[in-house]
Amino acid sequence: MVFVIALAGTSAAQPAGSDGSAGSAGSAAATGSAAETGSGSAASLALPTIATTGRVIDKLGKPVRGATVTVEGTDVHTTTNRFGRFSIKAPFQSELTIEKSGFELQLAIVSGESLDDVVLLGSADLSETIEVKADAPVPTAGAAELDREELQRVPGTGGDVVRTLTVMPGVVNLQLPIGYSGVVIRGSSPQDSQILVDDFEIPVLFHNIAFRAILPAESIQTLDYIPGGFDVAYGRASSGIVALTTREGTEHRSEQAEVSVIDGGVLAQGKVGDDTNYMIGFRRSTIDLILPYVIPSSVDLSLTTVPSYYDGQFRIDHRLSQNWRLTLSDVGTIDVFQLYTSKDTSSTTNRFYNRTAFDRLTGRATYHDGPWTATLALSAILPQFNFDLGAVQHIDVTQPAITPRAEVIRTVDELGGLKNVELRAGGELVLQKSYVNVALPDPMVEGEASQGYNPMDTSTSFKGNFWQPDPAQWLSFAANIDPRIRFQAGLRLDEFMRNHDTEIQPRGKLEITLAPKWTLRLIAGAYRRPPEYQTESLYANLQAEHSTQTIAGLEYKPAEGTHVQVSTYYTDRSDLITYDANMVLGNWGRGTTYGAELLGTYHVGPWFAWLSYAYSHSTRVDYPNAPERLFTYDQPHSLNAAASWQHGKWTLGGRFQLYSGLPYTPITGGILNSDSNTYIPINGVVNSARAPIHHELDLRIDYATHPGPIQLTYFIDVQNVYLDQSVVTYFYSYDYTQQAAFKSIPIIPSIGVRGVL
Amino acid sequence: MNRLVLVGLVVLAGCAGNIDPPWQLSHERIIAVRATPPHVVAGEQSTIDVLVGHVGSDGSNVQVEPPDSASIVSPTSLMNIISGDTLTAPSDGELDQVRSELGLGSADPVPVELQIEADGFEALKTVFVGDSGDNPTLDGLMINGAAPPSDPTQTILVPADVDVRLFVNADETVDNINWLTSCGTMNDYNLHDAFVHVNPTDPQSGQLALVVRDESGGVVWQYWSIAAQ
Repeated sequence: MVFVIALAGTSAAQPAGSDGSAGSAGSAAATGSAAETGSGSAASLALPTIATTGRVIDKLGKPVRGATVTVEGTDVHTTTNRFGRFSIKAPFQSELTIEKSGFELQLAIVSGESLDDVVLLGSADLSETIEVKADAPVPTAGAAELDREELQRVPGTGGDVVRTLTVMPGVVNLQLPIGYSGVVIRGSSPQDSQILVDDFEIPVLFHNIAFRAILPAESIQTLDYIPGGFDVAYGRASSGIVALTTREGTEHRSEQAEVSVIDGGVLAQGKVGDDTNYMIGFRRSTIDLILPYVIPSSVDLSLTTVPSYYDGQFRIDHRLSQNWRLTLSDVGTIDVFQLYTSKDTSSTTNRFYNRTAFDRLTGRATYHDGPWTATLALSAILPQFNFDLGAVQHIDVTQPAITPRAEVIRTVDELGGLKNVELRAGGELVLQKSYVNVALPDPMVEGEASQGYNPMDTSTSFKGNFWQPDPAQWLSFAANIDPRIRFQAGLRLDEFMRNHDTEIQPRGKLEITLAPKWTLRLIAGAYRRPPEYQTESLYANLQAEHSTQTIAGLEYKPAEGTHVQVSTYYTDRSDLITYDANMVLGNWGRGTTYGAELLGTYHVGPWFAWLSYAYSHSTRVDYPNAPERLFTYDQPHSLNAAASWQHGKWTLGGRFQLYSGLPYTPITGGILNSDSNTYIPINGVVNSARAPIHHELDLRIDYATHPGPIQLTYFIDVQNVYLDQSVVTYFYSYDYTQQAAFKSIPIIPSIGVRGVL
Repeated sequence: MNRLVLVGLVVLAGCAGNIDPPWQLSHERIIAVRATPPHVVAGEQSTIDVLVGHVGSDGSNVQVEPPDSASIVSPTSLMNIISGDTLTAPSDGELDQVRSELGLGSADPVPVELQIEADGFEALKTVFVGDSGDNPTLDGLMINGAAPPSDPTQTILVPADVDVRLFVNADETVDNINWLTSCGTMNDYNLHDAFVHVNPTDPQSGQLALVVRDESGGVVWQYWSIAAQ
């Protein structure tokens, strides 16, 4: 499809002919046609009402989310989704108005069941002529997309990204975020999924204290949750992707501040000149100011460095020309605490210290001209991780990396009988150098209990540095076979050069519109995770972990604001990095995961409701002839039901969670090895026991007021209101004769206020 | 190599929960197994005894006793060299045969792994057969700046609610050092320079023990009565 939009004083979208030909001359005709039929008048309403769909994009061809589409002269309206798409019932030949803050109003004529793309132009874009082609990529079954407004309104999450992820079907619900990123998707392991900000990975998503996300919702534009079957442009993960984009500054200057008992932050945004927007935010924990006063004196604990964190973000967007757009964004965090499990701070063996910090700076140039779109990006990250446990065990890791990345998209209206063809090619090079100084016991085997904790054990010791150059290339071809059938075939090639490992990953998607409200999606593909988790990167002989994913999903949109999707999946995993019977680390393991997910959302009037349920079963075999066992993060059932209701200045929200406890390996006793003074646990069957079911209710109340030019929102957010202190897992004494429960979070109330100027 | 935070959290939770720390003497278990001597030549005997910990507030949390049973785990060809609590090294000829089976050099000592049972608990202990060697000694021992009494029944009085320094002339990078107490809170229990602090909420009397293991299988222990004043 090709559109040429001419703006000459009027803001009129120019639909193309159904044959896809450009229609610059037709612009006035279309508008005129609408005028002749009397848009919004009794004449148009007399015509038959049809269900029509369309897409709203900006001048670069990017889908515009959140645009309001209204049937002219009526109050019938809808908003566009993440892909800029909308569906609405309107009289044939009636006129639609398309509005979005920061863009000029546009019009479109209801000419059939499927409308051509509507291009929204910013205020500075008047009189430009834009030619746009291509459709959005085929969405992934089971995925969910949220923009900032939705993110802030998902009930019971307080607008926090980490808590919001826990309502996604397929995310393993944990009472504490765990592992590499804190996100476990579809029963695998936390290191198998990636968290991306502006297309590049960040090493951590949550803070050690309060477990808040390192990015406040105010600085986020969109959150895309892709539990599997992700695009070839994504790699280095064998399970799922969580992709966040930073917020582009608004057209009008505004400042906002928020403070609560957890943290406080400020965010400013606006425009400089005609072509540059900015957003800058900063946040600091406040809980560290409160914590020393609320820890009972009876607790044998000394906080010498009170847990604290600092977050910063900025983003600058500059429209260099009609075709070029530049973006510079930065995300960073510092998280530090030190404590002694003793009142005596001179006790070296009771010391625990952790500092996690990173800063990722990304520059991006986007080019668009007619059928061509190109993105060139250069991103650099400096992560630092310091961890001291006791007198001798420690990790000090600094891993600076620079990643150039390029992607080119070419669209063609028709090619060999295929319509809406999109060709895409891209590449990146993750060039990382690791400076490592580690002295720790050998890492625990997944699913096994500790083989006896010895605070003097430094079996894994390494001090040195090494390069990890990992180039990747990808190709993708997407097209419509039929107006109702679109496919995408792609190929990704990853090279993990330090490990001499080349991985080819074919992926394909098929989307079939079964009926106007029903869409079927079928996805299959190969995915790889490089050996970089914990001490894996010290072993150059390891290969990437493999997964092959097969997903089928059905989406149903019965009415505006109501959305239901179900998906089933089967994931085959191989070359899992495990220890064999001789405790040699290698790609010995294999496993499978299957499950089904349901997500329903209802967003009508003052109500926003969310229901998700996931069933999952994950098993693995750690090495040939080893017994099959459950993954440590296998969670058969996870239910989230949430709702919020807005009335006047009040918004009330709540979320109920119910989910299975995680498996664990019971220990029946311990044998003293008197030579090493360690205890050897007598393990039961691996992961043969399971922690109890957890259920929890979170509530939040917001009250908004407008004293003068300031918009103030007071809020109270309470997690686990009826104090269900279920067991997260069990841990044992050094000699395995005593067992204690690691229980879930207590009631956590947070009171705060947000002000926007 | 990220995110060992959970390990830390669990460690913290472990310390904060109702789980005894490793230095707690008032705890049912085998603390250490000693072979005297730990290295024996052909025909020589080694006697096994066990340091056992007990729960109690009467100040007798630790005692030395013979094992309830002792058996050879490996090498299986030497299963018969132990009787009761006494291990008798076999002849040089038998040892050469075992060395051959294990791929050891002609002068290498043969590690004999024992399984010990005492008071319902199990432990493993290695005795080396084919060379000679003694258990280490505790040198430079200082408790609160003074040499402790050799009589374990004599009570050491230490000041309450202050750090009481404990010192032994050993190297924790080579030796395995363990200070244990049922009186007060132990700090740096696995360093040669540790301290105990008897908080007002801690038991004000009990026992103090020190166990040092060297690299070659040698073990030495000593214990005292202790009270805060």
